Amino acid sequence: MNHFALTIIGRDRPGIVSEVTSILYQLGCNIADSSCSILGGQFSMILIISHPELQDQMALSQAFAPLEKKNLSVYLRTLKPGGEEHPDLQGEICMISVYGADKPGIVYRVARELGDRKINITDLNTKLIGEKGTPVYVMMIEAVLNQGVEIEEVESWMTDLKRELKVDISVRSITPVEL
Amino acid sequence: MAVKEVLLYPNPILKEVCSAIEKWDASVTALLQDLVDTMVDAGHSVGVAAPQIGDTRRAVVVDVSKSKLGKKQENHGLLCMVNPVIIEHEGQTTVREGCMSVPDYTGNVLRAERIVVKFQDQDRQLQVIRTAGFEAIAIQHEIDHLDGYLFLDRVSSLKTDLFRRK
Repeated sequence: MNHFALTIIGRDRPGIVSEVTSILYQLGCNIADSSCSILGGQFSMILIISHPELQDQMALSQAFAPLEKKNLSVYLRTLKPGGEEHPDLQGEICMISVYGADKPGIVYRVARELGDRKINITDLNTKLIGEKGTPVYVMMIEAVLNQGVEIEEVESWMTDLKRELKVDISVRSITPVEL
Repeated sequence: MAVKEVLLYPNPILKEVCSAIEKWDASVTALLQDLVDTMVDAGHSVGVAAPQIGDTRRAVVVDVSKSKLGKKQENHGLLCMVNPVIIEHEGQTTVREGCMSVPDYTGNVLRAERIVVKFQDQDRQLQVIRTAGFEAIAIQHEIDHLDGYLFLDRVSSLKTDLFRRK
């Protein structure tokens, strides 16, 4: 089974998912994982797809050519064997909420604090909200803490950042509960 | 009694609306014991509902007292609940839930923060308890099973909630 990463983005309108999945269905592709969302005015799709036989990336890319004519940008990448497998991440999950007046560097500075400490970000969303004159930047980060790292420690890393960036940052644990 | 196999979705029994227990016989006592045995055997489980072990009668067991989260909060220990009904609920909380019948997937679910639940216990006594926090969440999750709901039917997107609420 060969796996590919497919990225599609274009001005949002009804029918994009239908057009994309129609091609995938006709090719005989499976959609393993996918995430689709509106970013700004753009509808963006990221899919991990597989095909039992197809190996030729070029041939597969050709099949998506009609989408380009419909103002959608398509990018296809072949995954290395095992690249489709979800890593088994052990550790406590935390949600870091960052919000404040919009300014450059919010994402970078928070991500650097985590990256320098080898904390794995598993999900990150940002959004500009509020009034036009006073935009508020909101960022939600989900991260897996390394063994032995406590929520309080993450909070302490964020203390200086809060002052420096003049934003509010809260950290809370998300313990998935199996019921 | 016995540790039963936990059914996995798409087993159709998990989507059935379970029937009330009207006739209390030895099979009801046996069912409650099987539910407890299955929950304890799972090790990490804080609740099991009858349909998860293939029985479509309205019975669940819940015990959060041994879990990391439950230990931090007041709880009622082991609860064997026959024909449970939530008669009051207030507040809202989002919790990341998973389920033994839907392995390898968790989702954010909106639940009532505090509930009052009425049920018959293992001795057929009518009980009414008020509970909050993790125990309340576990009870809501298990009662959902009795109505054919999985947590997947209740997943809410935190993103959407946050960004679209004006």
